[in-house]
Amino acid sequence: MTAPYWIKNVRLETGYIQDEEGNYETKTELFHLKIQDKKFVEVKNSSYLIPAEEETIDAKSFLAMPTFKEMHNHLDKTYLSLDWKACTPVKNLAERLQLEAMELDELAPTTEQRASKMIELLLSHGSTHIRTHVNIDPYIGLKNLEGVRAALENYSDKLSYEIVAFPQHGLLRENVIPLMKEAMESGAHIVGGLDPAGIDKNIEKSLYEVMDIAAEYDAGIDIHLHDSGHVGYYTVDKLTEMVEEAKWHNRVAVSHAFSLGDVPLPQQEDIAAKLGYLGMSIMSTIPITKTLPPIELLDRNGVNVYLGCDGFYDSWSPFGTGDVLEKVTRYSEIYRKSDERGLAHSLKYGTGGQTPLNEDGEVIWPLEGDEASLVLVNASCVSEAVARTSKREAVIYKGKVVSGQL
Amino acid sequence: MTAFWLTNVRLEKGFLYDKSEQVSSTYTEICHLKIESGKITEISQEEPSEEKQVDANGHLLLPSLREMHIHIDKTYYGGPWKACNPPIKGIFTRLEEEKELLPKLLPTAQVRAEKMIELLLENGHTHIRTHCNVDPIIGLKNLEATVNALSKYEDVLTYDIVAFPQHGLLKSDSVQLVRDAMKNGATLVGGVDPGTVDRNIEKSLYTIFEIAAENSRGVDIHLHDPNTLGAFTFERMAHYTKEAGLKGRATISHGIALGDLQGEDLANMANLLKEQEIDVSTTVPINRTTIPIPTLDKVGISVSVGHDSITDHWSPFGTGNTIKKLSILAERFRMVDEYSLSRALKYGTGGVTPLNDAGERVWPKVGDDATMMLVDATCSAEAIARRSTVQSLYSKGNKVESKHIDTVQA
Repeated sequence: MTAPYWIKNVRLETGYIQDEEGNYETKTELFHLKIQDKKFVEVKNSSYLIPAEEETIDAKSFLAMPTFKEMHNHLDKTYLSLDWKACTPVKNLAERLQLEAMELDELAPTTEQRASKMIELLLSHGSTHIRTHVNIDPYIGLKNLEGVRAALENYSDKLSYEIVAFPQHGLLRENVIPLMKEAMESGAHIVGGLDPAGIDKNIEKSLYEVMDIAAEYDAGIDIHLHDSGHVGYYTVDKLTEMVEEAKWHNRVAVSHAFSLGDVPLPQQEDIAAKLGYLGMSIMSTIPITKTLPPIELLDRNGVNVYLGCDGFYDSWSPFGTGDVLEKVTRYSEIYRKSDERGLAHSLKYGTGGQTPLNEDGEVIWPLEGDEASLVLVNASCVSEAVARTSKREAVIYKGKVVSGQL
Repeated sequence: MTAFWLTNVRLEKGFLYDKSEQVSSTYTEICHLKIESGKITEISQEEPSEEKQVDANGHLLLPSLREMHIHIDKTYYGGPWKACNPPIKGIFTRLEEEKELLPKLLPTAQVRAEKMIELLLENGHTHIRTHCNVDPIIGLKNLEATVNALSKYEDVLTYDIVAFPQHGLLKSDSVQLVRDAMKNGATLVGGVDPGTVDRNIEKSLYTIFEIAAENSRGVDIHLHDPNTLGAFTFERMAHYTKEAGLKGRATISHGIALGDLQGEDLANMANLLKEQEIDVSTTVPINRTTIPIPTLDKVGISVSVGHDSITDHWSPFGTGNTIKKLSILAERFRMVDEYSLSRALKYGTGGVTPLNDAGERVWPKVGDDATMMLVDATCSAEAIARRSTVQSLYSKGNKVESKHIDTVQA
């Protein structure tokens, strides 16, 4: 590791103050942070005189925030780095899948290039962790996995990552289970799944097979669940039963989970308690065309809620920016979090739980001993950064500037 | 102004179709445009020989944008960060806040407005329709600041100022104030929820249209009231539009109830509005039902987008970026293919798109005003889906440059 050094003049939040009417504002001050062995080893107020012989870089009073976690992406699918291409109109999901299957071969030679472009984009916006799904299907086999792995390995000093083996064209069709197992032996970390009802047409078997592969490879699980209403709800409920049986606590995620927002409140509360008890996670991409899972209720029950940008600019959607902070902004806007603390606390969904201040306004980040990763943002406080999707100036990962300049 | 050539401009030329006759892509060509006396006087593919040339570097030329609903008199933008206070009593929290806030913001109202105009120019707008508070607290002072700010930019944009009785035309006894506003720079008569706010739908609408007729001006009314109450108000508004002879000059802002109507009710309402050529502006909200924009468009109702707020005591969100707003509109209505994306542009340009629905170039034409923008995209569809950056903006042949407004002090 390189020699210890200081990032000086970093703006950190130090607490809340209330005005005469009881409305909150965030207090900040400038600090110097000493970094050694990828950790913050000292957090000093800016009045502290850094010994002249010690190296420094200047954060120019920009605000520090924890880095973001991009928890749902498809690095293998994007068109980024290719010429502009809109989506082809389709009548239904079957047609969309058919189109994708036909395109996979054409895109395969550029997987690493396209994935790298997506990684760059995510990193430039402050994500230093990426969970990506990668198609494992009869058309593409393991080719996309190879390309995505190659791309991610190139960035392994700039971010951490997890690869989910994703049976986009169904798990229960011929030969996919062996392919999934091959993927787990070839660099995938997590077992994926997809709509046990809508796609696999056998909820119990589909879930069982996912659990089975996970058990064989001692791996976590992350299932795409678009199935809406009560069939989606039943699927999550059934999954919780299997997770409990297999004692797969803290290792299972459901992505999208629109259905959790479709059912009546008592059922939402019931499932939230189960998911919380089992340490399960929900990944949301904050769509504006679907019901959202009840994020706050889930959070209150101890469910880990994470955000992701989803696959974007691909055969499914031409939109998307690769900015997790923008997803936090969108979350706040949808749920009308427009006051100082409501905005500030929304940040946690983008960072995997971390915020500079806790709900009581006490400093909980960055502390001495924490990993030296942060995003410098052109904002006066976190709530401003969330409301305004403020510009990212630089990203530091384990003590190293990995995007932007200082 | 001397003539010049804008060279290497990318213009859309037509659509390419696939086997099933769906639009698969847009094709473009590089052209050179002669700009003279604020107009496009020649479109050529031959390299021009005249000396004065500006290179567009192959960027795509699009019509400039129109911000059709904003409040530039009431903003925190340009000043220090301020979140909203929790709205304990809903809209009434906000109205009460204005009693203290408006006088407090007044000294910096003009410079804030100018900052916002600069932001809108950066994002490619050459027309702004702003609402401006006219109420017993601030009287006509916000109007004065708004007129002063906008008139500084008359060389690069056109604008409308709506006299907006935020605290209720009747409820806050603002009728005379609105009349005065119309003599002092306001160009449209505003209003807000004749039912919920004014508590007298007929009288509120009657008065709005009376003032409009007296001044030969149009109207633009904030209508948030939902479902049947909103629908009834639209119906009466159409009635008064006809009575006042203001066909084609009345606007519904927000029109939340249009998102509550369905099937035949929606079709009947649309016909009623269309008869009086009443248009609609929307912010494409993501925290409530969005009005059915493509459906309204299909029956011939003109729909425009606006930001409403960039950041103020009502909402801390907002970007002033209409291309981004159109991208959200397209996302919301699942307009994901080349053709639908290309059509979405019209909601930001007052209906103008380079290609018509049949794929023929209808803009720009020789003789058109050289009011346009260059964007970093290969076609309209890409510009919207990928939220392309505006590279430069021209207003009647003049390149729009910042007037460098000083920073607002706390």
